[in-house]
Amino acid sequence: MRKQLSKVILIIAAVLLSLVFLYPTYQDYQYRKKLSALAGQDSIAYLEQHEDDILNAKLKRLKLGLDLQGGMRVVLEVDVIQMLEDVAKNKDDNFRTIISELRSGATTTDESVIPVLGKKFQDRGIRLSRYYGSIRESDATIVGELTNETEKAIDRAIEVVRNRVDQYRVSEPTIQKQGGRRIIVELPGVKDEREVRSLLQGTAKLEFKLLRDADISYKVMKSVDDYLSGKVEEDTSAAAKTLKKEQKPKDALEELLSGTKPAETDTSREARFTREHPFFSYVLPDQQNTGEGFVEEKNRDRVIRLLARPELQRLYPIDFEFLWSAKPEPLADGKQYYRLYAVKRRAELTGGVIVDARASVSQEDNRPIVNMEMNSEGSREWARITGANVGKRIAIALDNAIFSAPVVINKIVGGRSQITGLDSPNEARLLEIVLRAGALPAPLAIVEQRTVGPSLGEDSVQSGVSATLYAFVLTVLFMILYYRSAGIVADFALFFNILFILGVLAGFQGTLTLPGIAGVILTIGLAVDANVLINERIREELQGGKTMRAAIDAGYSKAFSAIFDSNITTFLTAIVLYQFGTGPVQGFALTLMIGIVASMFSAILITRVIFNTMTDRNMPPNFG
Amino acid sequence: MRFFKKTNIDFLKLRKIMYLSSTAVIVAGLISLAIKGIDLGIDFRGGTELVLSFTAKPEVSQVRAALGAVGLGQSEIKFFGAEGDLLIRTAEQGEGMVVGDKIKQAIEQAFPDRKFEVLKEDKIGPKIGEELRKDALYAVAASFLVILAYIAVRFRFIYGVGAVVALFHDVLVALGVLSLLDGVIPTLNLEISQEVVAAFLTLVGISVNDTVVIFDRIRENLKIYRSLSLMEVINRSLNDTLSRTIITQGTVLLVLFTLFFAGGEVTRGFAFTLTVGTIAGTYSSVYIASAIVLDWTIRKQKRKEVNP
Repeated sequence: MRKQLSKVILIIAAVLLSLVFLYPTYQDYQYRKKLSALAGQDSIAYLEQHEDDILNAKLKRLKLGLDLQGGMRVVLEVDVIQMLEDVAKNKDDNFRTIISELRSGATTTDESVIPVLGKKFQDRGIRLSRYYGSIRESDATIVGELTNETEKAIDRAIEVVRNRVDQYRVSEPTIQKQGGRRIIVELPGVKDEREVRSLLQGTAKLEFKLLRDADISYKVMKSVDDYLSGKVEEDTSAAAKTLKKEQKPKDALEELLSGTKPAETDTSREARFTREHPFFSYVLPDQQNTGEGFVEEKNRDRVIRLLARPELQRLYPIDFEFLWSAKPEPLADGKQYYRLYAVKRRAELTGGVIVDARASVSQEDNRPIVNMEMNSEGSREWARITGANVGKRIAIALDNAIFSAPVVINKIVGGRSQITGLDSPNEARLLEIVLRAGALPAPLAIVEQRTVGPSLGEDSVQSGVSATLYAFVLTVLFMILYYRSAGIVADFALFFNILFILGVLAGFQGTLTLPGIAGVILTIGLAVDANVLINERIREELQGGKTMRAAIDAGYSKAFSAIFDSNITTFLTAIVLYQFGTGPVQGFALTLMIGIVASMFSAILITRVIFNTMTDRNMPPNFG
Repeated sequence: MRFFKKTNIDFLKLRKIMYLSSTAVIVAGLISLAIKGIDLGIDFRGGTELVLSFTAKPEVSQVRAALGAVGLGQSEIKFFGAEGDLLIRTAEQGEGMVVGDKIKQAIEQAFPDRKFEVLKEDKIGPKIGEELRKDALYAVAASFLVILAYIAVRFRFIYGVGAVVALFHDVLVALGVLSLLDGVIPTLNLEISQEVVAAFLTLVGISVNDTVVIFDRIRENLKIYRSLSLMEVINRSLNDTLSRTIITQGTVLLVLFTLFFAGGEVTRGFAFTLTVGTIAGTYSSVYIASAIVLDWTIRKQKRKEVNP
């Protein structure tokens, strides 16, 4: 036993770790069950009490793929031809013919469009500079520039899509760049596909909006707070009551998030503050008197719902709205906060006037800056706006999310502006992308879309789980029948193997897909292979007249090379599968890889320890 | 319990006949592939596909008439699976999801009182389909190369060749069977989806797994029985591992059967392909992989004897 101590510790650690990883999944399941069982006020109170735990469990649970929980997967591609058409100048009939030729050719070939475009122009003896770039530039330079521009377009498109998906507030979306010009967007649980489609494809709206003065902003916040706490009763309480009646009592989460007062019995100070200041308990006004409010990331949805109440509009001055910062940022307490800005509803200027924007470094102090250039019409407007608002702040909003709100230092004439005071080169690059997104839209085409309805997903989960159970039970029974007590030991290993696979998947934030479940089932079949190899060897050695102890030792050491080599080759094919596959197929490859490693661990190490312990205690295993 | 006491079967005596029968099976499959082709799914062809679940099912002809009214009468329309869901597939794609929307609207109008639920809606662009086709071929080729390299390093080069030829055999047999049986069994949907491609790669993994276990035993027995001929050693190794082969491949098949019958519609084609592949793989480990190693070595020795 002593010799095995380190192994036993290793096994116990692995099992514990898997359980720790899987615990949030179990918790999440329990919370859901409880919440659907409780009704009305009870469930609100329950939710309120366990809010952090529930969110935490949801975040860390084993994630299900789109095919299991339903949702949408969209692959978008930057429509390069559309873009070439958009950015060209002096478009004439010649140009249009070439573009339409390009378009009919491009649906079938995967060749890069721009060199083909260059060639088509050359064939007709037309210089590219007639439509693109400046007159003195050679065709080769322009082709290079256009190619460069396409690559930047994909980054802009990703930023636009990410920004919108963030605001649409889908839970757990994934947005990935694939190859040179594709974006994969996965939106689990999304139902309204038409809305999502327009969300992904519509043109980006870049606006410059003036910030409201800090004191106005605070005054509005204060009156919102007063109103929500019920201090300003008037005739609104009746309205609030009817509003409440319409709510389904079952929908506890909704009610909680809409800011209903917590149960009166709660007397702690914090709860009283929440009750008296339903707005300020989630929105922290900026101490530096900028008029901004800070909202912790987890409270953002709640505040959005609070502000969405239609009757609040009456509290706002004319031409006023709250907008959010596009991304959260860490404050001193280490938590992520969104900023809430008060801006004028009417935009001063829209992004169409921007000709160019470039991230750069200031020559004076080496700080990151962004240079922005506007066309002549925009420049005139810009001079007027900046001239009238020196010392005030203008927010740069893309699709109503604010990326930056610089202060106007002086009147800007000529259309060349410089944005300074940025924290990092990354921030500057992001701002460049955002500023260009308004001017040079990156037209996106949907090249692939898959929608899985929620009921299909549920069916798949059910059949997947039952198939796994059947496969497991059948294999377990067979092993016991064939190998007796040695079979039971192998079954133990098999059980832990499945536990490890799920634990590793949950721990590494993997996603379980339907093919992934197939991978688990297949691993059940493959995992016993190691034990079959070992047990067959031990039987042979026993027949050769060895003692139990010696036969076990020999069996394990002789079977090892076969187990190792055969598992490595299977593992290698799984890697290839992961490399070439997409989405669900990758899920399969992943579970297969984890399964192979886990099965080597459980089939070799765990069974060995059990066999050794059994022989040590004079209860030699029976190999049938 | 044990299925086999010590066996002493002369497996390799039959190898010449088996070469012929393997070739015959593959040729039959290839002929079927050439004539009947293979049912490429939406993933690889591109187009629009919808799966709808009705509470009260309409007739296929009614659906066709409804779709004909919007110019999509050529679509493939069928009920499938245990639940009898309606599958509509067309090569049309259009901009965005217009085709899918058109189909849904047409059906809503034609059957205003029959509610349906969209279980699945896929649109795949033509370029994506082509890329997936290419990727699938690359993936199989890459896995062959990787396996060839690994086995050549761990064993000998000819073992790698034997294993990869056996894999070719398995993949071709599985493809042939898919082509031959497509449409023969009414409820079995054998179109090539991404999942089925994953099945092909898994088949490669399972098949090579089995081959490697036998090779490992040959490697070991070659050191122990130095006086025996290669044929005797291989035969002995095959007998040594027979019990394990039957049990392991048996449990894998057991598991695949459960997946086939209880795993639901989506994984059925996957389970079927793997079942065919596992059977082919078990056979080819003996009669292709091991047999090639033997025949190659014999030929090399003969050549040496002729010109020493």
